[in-house]
Amino acid sequence: MSGARILVIDDEPQIHRFLRPALASAGYDVEVAASGQEGLRLAASRSPEAVLLDLGLPDLDGQAVLRRLRQFSKVPVIVLSARDRAGEKISALDAGADDYVEKPFDLGELLARIRAALRHGLAQDGAAETFRLEGLTVDLLRRQVELDGRPLALSPREYALLALLVRNRGRVLTHRQLLTGVWGTAHAEDVQYLRVYVGQIRQKLGTAIGALIRTEPGIGYRLLDALPDGEG
Amino acid sequence: MLPDETRPDPEALLIAAAREGKGRLKVFLGAAPGVGKTWEMLNAARRRRAEGVDVVVGVVETHGRAETEAQVGDLPVLPRLSVAYRGQTLEEFDLDAALRRRPGLLLVDELAHTNAPGSRHHKRWEDVAELLEAGLDVWATLNAQHFESLNETVARITGVRVSETLPDRVLEMADEIEFIDLSPAELRARLREGRVYRPDMARRALEGFFREGNLAALREIALRLAAQRVDRDVRDYMRQKAIPGPWPAADRVLALVGSDASSDAVVRHAKRLADALHAPWIALHVERPGGTDTSRPALEIAAQLGADVQMRAGADLVRTTLELAAASNATHIVIGRARSSLWRRLLGRTFAATLLRQGSDFALHVIPLAGPAGARRAARRRIPRDWLPWMAATLLVAAVIGAGELFHPWLEHEALGMLFLAAVVGTATLYGLVVALYAAALGFVSWNFLFIPPLYALTIYEPRDVIAVFVFAGVATASGWLGSRVRAEARAAQGRIENLRRISAFTRKLGEPPAEPDLLDEIARQGAAIAGLAAVLMARGEDLDIRAAAPASVDTMDAGSWAAARWAWTRGEPAGRGTATLPSSAWRFLPMRTARGLLGILGVRTQAPLEAPQLQALGALADQAAAAIERVRLASEAARSEAQAETQKLRTALLNSLSHDLRTPLTSIRGSAGLLRTAWGTLSAEARVDLLASIEQDTVRMTGFLADIMEMTRLESGEIVPRRERVRLAEIAEAAIARLGGTAPVAVHLPDSVPDALADPQLLEQVLVNLLENAVKYSPDGAPVRVGAERADGSVCLTIADDGVGIPPADLPHVFDSFYRARHEDRTRPGTGLGLAIARGLCEAMGGTIAAQSPRPDRARDAAPGTVLRVCLPALTQAEPS
Repeated sequence: MSGARILVIDDEPQIHRFLRPALASAGYDVEVAASGQEGLRLAASRSPEAVLLDLGLPDLDGQAVLRRLRQFSKVPVIVLSARDRAGEKISALDAGADDYVEKPFDLGELLARIRAALRHGLAQDGAAETFRLEGLTVDLLRRQVELDGRPLALSPREYALLALLVRNRGRVLTHRQLLTGVWGTAHAEDVQYLRVYVGQIRQKLGTAIGALIRTEPGIGYRLLDALPDGEG
Repeated sequence: MLPDETRPDPEALLIAAAREGKGRLKVFLGAAPGVGKTWEMLNAARRRRAEGVDVVVGVVETHGRAETEAQVGDLPVLPRLSVAYRGQTLEEFDLDAALRRRPGLLLVDELAHTNAPGSRHHKRWEDVAELLEAGLDVWATLNAQHFESLNETVARITGVRVSETLPDRVLEMADEIEFIDLSPAELRARLREGRVYRPDMARRALEGFFREGNLAALREIALRLAAQRVDRDVRDYMRQKAIPGPWPAADRVLALVGSDASSDAVVRHAKRLADALHAPWIALHVERPGGTDTSRPALEIAAQLGADVQMRAGADLVRTTLELAAASNATHIVIGRARSSLWRRLLGRTFAATLLRQGSDFALHVIPLAGPAGARRAARRRIPRDWLPWMAATLLVAAVIGAGELFHPWLEHEALGMLFLAAVVGTATLYGLVVALYAAALGFVSWNFLFIPPLYALTIYEPRDVIAVFVFAGVATASGWLGSRVRAEARAAQGRIENLRRISAFTRKLGEPPAEPDLLDEIARQGAAIAGLAAVLMARGEDLDIRAAAPASVDTMDAGSWAAARWAWTRGEPAGRGTATLPSSAWRFLPMRTARGLLGILGVRTQAPLEAPQLQALGALADQAAAAIERVRLASEAARSEAQAETQKLRTALLNSLSHDLRTPLTSIRGSAGLLRTAWGTLSAEARVDLLASIEQDTVRMTGFLADIMEMTRLESGEIVPRRERVRLAEIAEAAIARLGGTAPVAVHLPDSVPDALADPQLLEQVLVNLLENAVKYSPDGAPVRVGAERADGSVCLTIADDGVGIPPADLPHVFDSFYRARHEDRTRPGTGLGLAIARGLCEAMGGTIAAQSPRPDRARDAAPGTVLRVCLPALTQAEPS
């Protein structure tokens, strides 16, 4: 995974000042942009494998950068947000961001998120149809779920929800994305459904494996694609 | 039948609910004076008092009857209110005393009584209505003959027209009715015994009003009234309790109110019919071109009697009537017997016949004329009082005679007839029909006497002259009539145009919504244009207040008018002059209301009583004004909420900016420290030094930020108390520049002639540091910031000028606000957004002022706009001791 090219779009020189050596020492190739326009230009010309995007840019709103970026690239995007309003993050995720990190962030946490994002980018390309973690196996082609080697019975809705999380493992999915994906656009606001079904799936998976489905309070859910490493 | 038909009728329940919280009214109803209503009421009241109820006699007319007086007994009696009127002292019921006293039960005699002029209400029943509204229980007495709808019937039966009438709905106010019955024979016996009137009066009464036949008829009327009421009570009860019953099909009565004398009778009959049918009723008035409008009193009575009053305009009376009848499903039409012309009657083309021929789905009621005297009075044309029209007509005829004498030798006498006709038509056009008829008669006699052979006699030789004379009489009358009609129509049209013009002018003025005070002034001006004096009143706190008046000098009203205004305000109904409430006040008040509620009161004061067109115009003005006021208020509300949203947006932006400013150095510190800890070995020595330096810088940045926030907080809490001493500006500038540490070039030009200032040296140094930092930040690299001084009236100003990009005009008023940074510079320059705010706070604490000017007035052409910041402080001359 080393050598992957990371594009950092942020207007604060102080951020670049420590991120550049931090990412370099983790083995990444770093590109920096101080404005949205420059970031878009670099994203198109240098084809980075992951993008770190600050939402507060002087020339373009971070959301606008994200939308324009998504018109030509599926590159994983991690949002660096100094704004502590959940609404900003949700709309960034809905607009196509894969993850977010809140400033001031822990360096280890950021690097872990970057690794997850890079994996997700590869998974998308490789279209891995079977997901394995701990005792859980999800075969997306045959629609089968096994827990510790035994088949696990899930209702069609429960399966649809789990499959959606598996397909987007490592990513934060907003309530809206999950609800429209499983129940359709008419139920985009019925967060209560989601709570009930996630609860049922966790119960069937058992405590240890159920904890792989992480709650992002007020935002959505994320299926961890690896056990959290010791850094965080 | 639908299942929910058995649910209680919501309307009936609503009416019951509306009665809750109000006082209860019991009416002792009688057929004629002397049946013992008052006696019975007092008797029952004393029993209630014995039961412990707080009974008070509000007013009782004993008419000197000993029996009745005895019944008052020990009941407490409210003192009467003495009202002076035309040298007499009238004793009236004291409404306010009753409201203050708040008895458990109040007795009020003779509901139909008319109060002395100047009282709050025109009628005593209105006093009672107010008492009930205030929650007081009232017992009252009333004779059936006083009801408006029975007035006509009673007059026809007894030959006596009762002048004190009250609307039928008064009976509907009553929760309970006790019918006091006495047979005619017994009543006459009591009269003979002198128990009702004094003997001499009693004798006359027995032969007049109290004839046995009259009494029997009155008793029947009263009994029918009471029976109707009982019937309705039962129905109400059944509807409230949802007892299904055979409800009558929806009847609807349409009364056609014309301009003739029969209209009163039509209105009263329609009301009785509607009551008997339990049907709603409509009073329709069709305004025809050229017609003079005298229907207003009848329409007002109709409205009082509960009619839905409709006004229509149209030339075809029959078609308009039938259209409304069809639209409103009228099953009964009530019309008056019009005075149709003979030939119409011969042709069978009376109004009633035409109505029946063209429509079919209704019963037609034709009401006879009230009486020949009344009819003639209403039909009579107005005769001009002043002498000018008569004089002018006479002179015109005289002029024709003069011309005739002059041209007689050359003219046939027939031709002269034409000249006389011209005089008649001219008179008709100028002065109306009556004067024209006079001119016609004068012309006829003069022509015959002076010009038709034999001369100087009223006899006529030639048969053709006889024909000419008759044709003259006919044509003169007809043309006089036509001429007068044209004149009347022209006048009416002019009046209508005048009103329309006024209203459209008013509407046009409101095209662009003015501020509310201007609008109220305009309303007052329009009101004054119609009625002389006008004022707009609105609530201020608890009370009313004159908000606008025309002429503007009107700033007060007499106490009576205030009372009427308050009444109009609390009730939302017209009050004052020309209305039923406080008619003696000098002003008339109209409520200005819209669907959202009562907005204010329009008051007018006139010398002469207002006429129908003026009242119409005022009504229209009040409606228009209410709509306009509402629109202005809605517009300002919208503007206010827009401003609020703008403020909210600004606040959010400031918070975002603050959050960004605090988190960015924290992120950098945390990230650098984390990197140093985890990757110490892999980092080059230079990278490590750079990261440590970065941590140091961000710590300094945050410290400065926190210090600024602390300073601002102290300033805002008033904790900084500046010293005031003589300060040499050059010294302060020197110290401030030293504190900046030579980061940027600053050119100081402060000659010795600059006076000293009265200030706190340390605070002033801080102000200067903040301003210089700001100026340096926004200056192009290497361009010097210039510090200078200006003398102003009694003060000295330090100026800090730069050659930067300047400040956009929209941002100038805000540059000294906390966390405000000129937008185009957003986040590209480090800073807290507090420097200028702190400078202003310190400056103001020292009694000075601070201002920004951009672009600089002295900048060179094509140079950057630049900014001048100016700090002004009180000046001390060199000689003056501090």
